[in-house]
Amino acid sequence: MKRLYSFIIVSILISTVSCNKEVSSTSSDVMTNMIANKTWYLDYSITGNITQNFVGQSTYFITYLKDGTTKDSDGIIGTYTINNNNGKYEIQVTAKTVNGNTTNYNHVIESVGNVKMVQSFIATGQTVKTTLYFTSK
Amino acid sequence: MISIMFNKYFIKYTLVLIAICFNVNVFAQSAIQIQNSKLKKDRSIVDFINNNVSLFGALDLSKQSINDNGITVPINYLYNSVNNNVFKPGYSGGFRIDGICKNEHHYMLSFAINRLATGSYYEHKYSLSPYTDDFTHFKADNVFTTLSIAAHYKLLLPINEMKKYKFYAVAGPSVDYKISNISNENLLNGAGNRTIINGDLGAEFDNKGYYVLFAHYKIGTNLNQSSVPVQLNRIEIGMSIKAKDLF
Repeated sequence: MKRLYSFIIVSILISTVSCNKEVSSTSSDVMTNMIANKTWYLDYSITGNITQNFVGQSTYFITYLKDGTTKDSDGIIGTYTINNNNGKYEIQVTAKTVNGNTTNYNHVIESVGNVKMVQSFIATGQTVKTTLYFTSK
Repeated sequence: MISIMFNKYFIKYTLVLIAICFNVNVFAQSAIQIQNSKLKKDRSIVDFINNNVSLFGALDLSKQSINDNGITVPINYLYNSVNNNVFKPGYSGGFRIDGICKNEHHYMLSFAINRLATGSYYEHKYSLSPYTDDFTHFKADNVFTTLSIAAHYKLLLPINEMKKYKFYAVAGPSVDYKISNISNENLLNGAGNRTIINGDLGAEFDNKGYYVLFAHYKIGTNLNQSSVPVQLNRIEIGMSIKAKDLF
């Protein structure tokens, strides 16, 4: 009988102690894992009402590596980080062009997955948002 | 003079008598209390009889329904690649104690370790035009290990000759605790939750005490509040054999 009571008490203790909830602070890490070591090809670009379709054509592409470096089809090479800016996730790129000029830009990550990624930004001097739709291959 | 003496002795003896009565009462009460507690103790032991420890193994067919409405992190998973609305097989093993309470209530307590592989049904689809593929914001872990405890009430059914073959209807709660690692993807927006509380229903067949065949249906949900409520449905089919027959 003692064993039975011990079993019940231990069971209750386990179920009581185990009532915790885990929270991750690794959203940026999860996103980095999703975009890294892949080449992303631009499928669509939408600026205001104008949609450009690049599916099946020679198009812009960008590669993000796990070591934090990036390279695109325009020859821009640099580093990238993913930051959480008040709930908006941004990819911040610090790079140099083929001519050696420094170029920095921030794109908002609208959605990212293992296959599809959507980024948006407002170009300097513009008021209309441009949205870029990428697919990884 | 006599009356004064009488009064003096009367008061004295009355006080002594009252004291004796009080003490006798106290002793009697404490004796009754001791006797009652002994009886209670004996009774509590008598309440639980015929405890048998059995080992069991079972096939677990599982499916989970996932509501990812609470996820705000902009992550997408292609719906068709993660959605799998089927029961998938896993297994579980452990031990259980079967007994009878107060000579009439059959019960079962079990402790098990479960390796579950679940199908995943995602309740919501999202899309981002001009992409045509649907996606979800969350991908649930679909292979995990849990420790579980269950307390079941067993109702002996008046089927067949009950002394040989016994059929029971079974109901009761159980709790699962995930002991395997939870992926980072499952911790986004506080979605991570290790404890699942279940309601169990089932049937059991006892073949002359040699073995018990059982089938339980378990419906479970997160014990703690989560941004991604998950409903875990499980069908457990297995057999238990008394430990003393095995060892």
